[in-house]
Amino acid sequence: MTKTTDPITYQRRRLVVATLGVAALSTFGYLRYGSRQTKSISTAGASTSRTNDADARYSQVAVTTKHAATHYNNAYEFGWNKTDPARHAASFHLRPWTVTFDGLVERPGTFDVDQLMGLPFSQLEERIYDFRCVEAWSMVIPYNGRPLAEILKSMQPLSGARYVAFTSLYRPEEMPGQASPFSTLEWPYVEALTIEEAMHPLTFATFGVYGDPELPQNGMPFRITVPWKYGFKSAKFITRISFTADRPPATWHQETPAEYGWYSNVYPDISHPRWSQASERRILGEGQIERIPTRPYNGYGEAVAHLYPGDPQQYW
Amino acid sequence: MSRLLLHFGCALPGCYLAAGYLQGKLGVDPEKTIIWETGIWAFNLLILVVLLPRAARWARWPMLVQCRRAVGLWAFTYVTGHLLAFITFLLGWDIFRLGEELLKRSYILVGFIAWITLMPLAITSTKRWVQRLGPGWKRLHQGVYIAVVLAAVHYLMTVRSDYAWAGSYAMVVILILALRFAMWRQTRGPAPLSAATRKPATTD
Repeated sequence: MTKTTDPITYQRRRLVVATLGVAALSTFGYLRYGSRQTKSISTAGASTSRTNDADARYSQVAVTTKHAATHYNNAYEFGWNKTDPARHAASFHLRPWTVTFDGLVERPGTFDVDQLMGLPFSQLEERIYDFRCVEAWSMVIPYNGRPLAEILKSMQPLSGARYVAFTSLYRPEEMPGQASPFSTLEWPYVEALTIEEAMHPLTFATFGVYGDPELPQNGMPFRITVPWKYGFKSAKFITRISFTADRPPATWHQETPAEYGWYSNVYPDISHPRWSQASERRILGEGQIERIPTRPYNGYGEAVAHLYPGDPQQYW
Repeated sequence: MSRLLLHFGCALPGCYLAAGYLQGKLGVDPEKTIIWETGIWAFNLLILVVLLPRAARWARWPMLVQCRRAVGLWAFTYVTGHLLAFITFLLGWDIFRLGEELLKRSYILVGFIAWITLMPLAITSTKRWVQRLGPGWKRLHQGVYIAVVLAAVHYLMTVRSDYAWAGSYAMVVILILALRFAMWRQTRGPAPLSAATRKPATTD
């Protein structure tokens, strides 16, 4: 039982305190900024300029710059941070890629993604859609593809098919978010639409954005785009499409049913429990952000409102 | 000299953010970057300010205690910056919406209460207040523990699916509380009855 500790001990302890302090700070710095910094430099070459040829073509309409739309993405497969998808995109293999069609369908089968396009990529239709994220930000993005209905009809769904379920890729070795022990999401990602929604002419089978098919961060090589719903309803990296009689599960809805509805149509009057959906931050470029009011069905009400008769509360 | 260095260090993340914002180097969504970064640095400094007196005592290093006020005020500055960034970028200074958000979104309320908790501590950080409040000052400034717990809850409540960061911060706060509890037991000593049977606490 020593009453006094000798000065040397205190000096050692000071050294311990200082070392721990420096260690804590550098660990924090490395985890938060270090890994992001180095990788963002390595991908910088891929998108040399922030306003490129692709952007010049859309100068007539207020389209989000390609740089912003490809460096600010939610794809939890790659990580929860919005810069994660772009960082991990370079090492992602876009080919070979097949999509399996099954369930209540006359002609099930597995098809190569290039077959699904129907046309060479450069000849695909381009549509500029407003993209509204559930997190109350939005972008205006040119999508390349064809109506999903064309593909679905060629598979000849049976009359009992009331829903269409989409299953995304599971490839944890290239998608670190799927390997993260801290993520509470179940993989693979699944989403679903009613057959009417899936067959709606606005629902777009998407093979590229900004005329570029090689953007995994935007869900390529094959995703769907459903512009009147929150972004997460538009499944990315699709590998399977199933026709079902019963309502299929949807990842975010399953994860937190109180926050993400099964339909997840854009309704400005129905708040997310943690934030208002009445307005959105429209991102047009890096740091170019304006707040605008959100419109019902993200502005596509005229074309889709008839799908949802009665109280919108049923379809949030 | 060391005081200057301390202020410089604490101001650095803020200066970096401000410069990055002005030069357009904060990524696609600089508004969100500012909100997140001011938040995380407020939390870092709050953790530091509660650890300083513990470390000072353990290593008998009075300089660390002298740093406490500056770090505490910087923590409050970042919390305030975090709140102002939220009001500016997400609410556009719509004060009615602030009221609405506080009532409806509990994580915003929790963060706001943390800020309110810290305000009297910032105000009473001067020497005059220390003298005026006497022993009450110490008790009042234990409020920083409430704030750091609220910060952990606030952070956890913002998580959508990945708990790595918020969970780690919550663990640190739990450790700090455990440490505080251990110190509290040591200073108060064990209950009088068992005092005789227990080994007296050695000084560190």
